[in-house]
Amino acid sequence: MSNPFTRMPSQDERAAATKVTDSCAFKAGFSGIAGYGIGLMFGLVLSGIEFSSPVDTTASTKQQIKTVIKDMGNKSLSSAKNFAIMAAIYSGSECMIESYRAKNDIYNSIGAGCITGGTLAAKTGPRGMAVGCAGFAAFSAGIDWYMHKDD
Amino acid sequence: MFGGVFGGGSQKPAQSAPMGGMPGMGQGQGQMDPNAQLAAAEQEMEMVTDMFARLGELCNKKCILQRYSDEDLTKAESVCIDRCVAKYFQVNREVSDKLAKLSQANQ
Repeated sequence: MSNPFTRMPSQDERAAATKVTDSCAFKAGFSGIAGYGIGLMFGLVLSGIEFSSPVDTTASTKQQIKTVIKDMGNKSLSSAKNFAIMAAIYSGSECMIESYRAKNDIYNSIGAGCITGGTLAAKTGPRGMAVGCAGFAAFSAGIDWYMHKDD
Repeated sequence: MFGGVFGGGSQKPAQSAPMGGMPGMGQGQGQMDPNAQLAAAEQEMEMVTDMFARLGELCNKKCILQRYSDEDLTKAESVCIDRCVAKYFQVNREVSDKLAKLSQANQ
């Protein structure tokens, strides 16, 4: 069999690959991974700005640095996890809404934003979910309008 | 490894049922058959072309956005086209079934 790394993909292979990359699950997963990366960067920056827990000043400098870096890393990872979940939920729900409606307009973003905001605020009860839904929907509608205003 | 999974999956075009032959044609008239066959094939070709043109225009008007920001079809458009084609064929099938029933009832 010929080497798949050195030949052009056939029509069937390209069609199958397109079918995979256009599926909602793949889009959600890919967005989750991208969100994880962005969350890492964001968390690193945020941990520098935020007030950090008091450090044990009696320990040696090397120990202090290690503690601070470990704290930054933890904050980074937790922020990355939150970003990944948010991105995966948003991307997956937008893809599903778009497949269901068979239309491509701004209401897909609004609905996906509402679902994401509501899911992330699930712990705060129905009122918190409503507020989260409205807020995230407005935010994603704004971003979507800005991205497509020149089409 | 990847090609082997999909290598054997080439699709054959569905065998379409032959159009109804000319009524009243006997088996012995060999001279008319090629002409009749040719006419039937031409008619079928015309029908298929007409159906294709109508289907393309209908689904294009219904599904394709006027916003040409990208050359690829969005997910909404591909889903819409799938549904449009399936509905068109289903409508065709049901209409021809009803026509067949009506013509049978009239006989």
